[in-house]
Amino acid sequence: MNYAMVRSLIFKDWYFQRKAILLSLAGGLASLGIVIFGGNVGFYIGLIFLITIMIAIGATLVMGTLVGERENQTLAFVMSLPVSYREYSTAKILGNLLIFVPFWFTLVAGSVALIVAAPTIHGLFAFTVIMAVEILTSTCLMIAVALVTESKGWTISAMMVGNLGINVVGYIVAHVPGIKDGMFGTVIQWRPAATISLAIEFALIALFIVGAFYIQSRKKDFL
Amino acid sequence: MNDLCVQFDGVSKRYKHFSLESIDLQLATGAVMGFIGANGAGKSTTIRILMGLVHQDEGAVQVLGHPMPADQAAAKLDIGFVSEDMRLYGAATLAWHMAFLRPIYPRWDQAYADSLLLRFDLKPEQKIKGLSHGQRVKAALLLALARRPRLLVLDEPTTGLDPVARVEVLEELMAVLADEDRTILFSSHNTKDVEQISDRITFIDRGRIIDCDDKESFLDRWRRLRLVLPPDGVVPRLPDIVQVGGSGRLPVLTTNRFEPAMVSVCNDMGATVQAVDTMTLEEIFVANVHSRRERLTA
Repeated sequence: MNYAMVRSLIFKDWYFQRKAILLSLAGGLASLGIVIFGGNVGFYIGLIFLITIMIAIGATLVMGTLVGERENQTLAFVMSLPVSYREYSTAKILGNLLIFVPFWFTLVAGSVALIVAAPTIHGLFAFTVIMAVEILTSTCLMIAVALVTESKGWTISAMMVGNLGINVVGYIVAHVPGIKDGMFGTVIQWRPAATISLAIEFALIALFIVGAFYIQSRKKDFL
Repeated sequence: MNDLCVQFDGVSKRYKHFSLESIDLQLATGAVMGFIGANGAGKSTTIRILMGLVHQDEGAVQVLGHPMPADQAAAKLDIGFVSEDMRLYGAATLAWHMAFLRPIYPRWDQAYADSLLLRFDLKPEQKIKGLSHGQRVKAALLLALARRPRLLVLDEPTTGLDPVARVEVLEELMAVLADEDRTILFSSHNTKDVEQISDRITFIDRGRIIDCDDKESFLDRWRRLRLVLPPDGVVPRLPDIVQVGGSGRLPVLTTNRFEPAMVSVCNDMGATVQAVDTMTLEEIFVANVHSRRERLTA
């Protein structure tokens, strides 16, 4: 594995996405501010903004770094470099995660810190963590589909499935007995149901990434 | 020691509506090969297999001593590739592209890149999206050449250029190529472009290599014989005639193995040879393709 090549490709993707990321980070932090200082209405509006921004930046990244290479015909340029399929796939998956995760982690950490600091919403801790990881799962699904298909249509479909997934998971998690109980309470609780939910999400993330590598390794045409 | 830069042995690739069949191709180190075919003949597929971007279903490919596609990363370190469907990053400048490639290629030659900037009249601080199509092609050539590649692969680089830009690009390319001794594969459907820079020519049609030879040999051995037949005369049966055109008493024979003795044979058979015309590479290509297609349908 030529790590220098992988690093170059990741820096390239960061360079072209940096404005969108920094702008989204600013928007995300502003949303956190609305959550903190916006009162009851602001709390919910800020939360919606925060989730929307996290989903949107994941989609922007995937569209820009994966689908965009094919659509803008820059894939031929990238693949003419001394790079193997494995290095290209690694650079794209790792690059998207390395760009997305710090952004995602900053906003999730801010949200968790907010919950920890406000005893009245302590009960939302487990739900928030699970939903944050669900957004990461949805982003990984988009990355995998975009990498494998390089198709805008398929990636948009994956985006829709991911967004539906967030809503469905949110509904289910909010009704799981081990999480539902005490969700609106003032005590931070972490029960086995929460651990199982997280384990399922991380298993899905692993499945998407390993699956993408597997399919990429069997591809015969890269242009 | 293997002095072949590129070697295809029985390479096949099958798609639903197109297949590349049993491609045998050799490109000697230091040669400039023109790869000519009509649109959809299989030029780009062949080149993608050469670059390791498409995996062959059958056969073996060696590029600069590396088996492809397995060892493509190592091979591509020594290849400069410019393709008609390749785009640079529109939002970035040419300077950014050079800075991006510099650490990737150990033989990157910045002084040479700077000289090419002047020669191609390009401004490094200009964004790619602000360049004309001709300038973009020149920018891509600069980025490929400054790597100091052992093999330069140009896949229809002049397609889509207006006539002025095409001539400019070709002139610049020839000037640059005159500087150095490189192995080059230049594909195009435009025979005039290929003729200018190539010393060896390969024709491809419908997924098969139909002919391959030195350019001069092609031009030497292909001829058109314009005959005048006597009343009730018949067209002389000569070996190596690939096409019979013309009409009535004025047939035109196209041969791919011209020998001066053919003239006397025609005369002996009662036909008068009015003229023996040389053929352009384009005429040779078209005649070659037509004769093959006629043989296939016969």
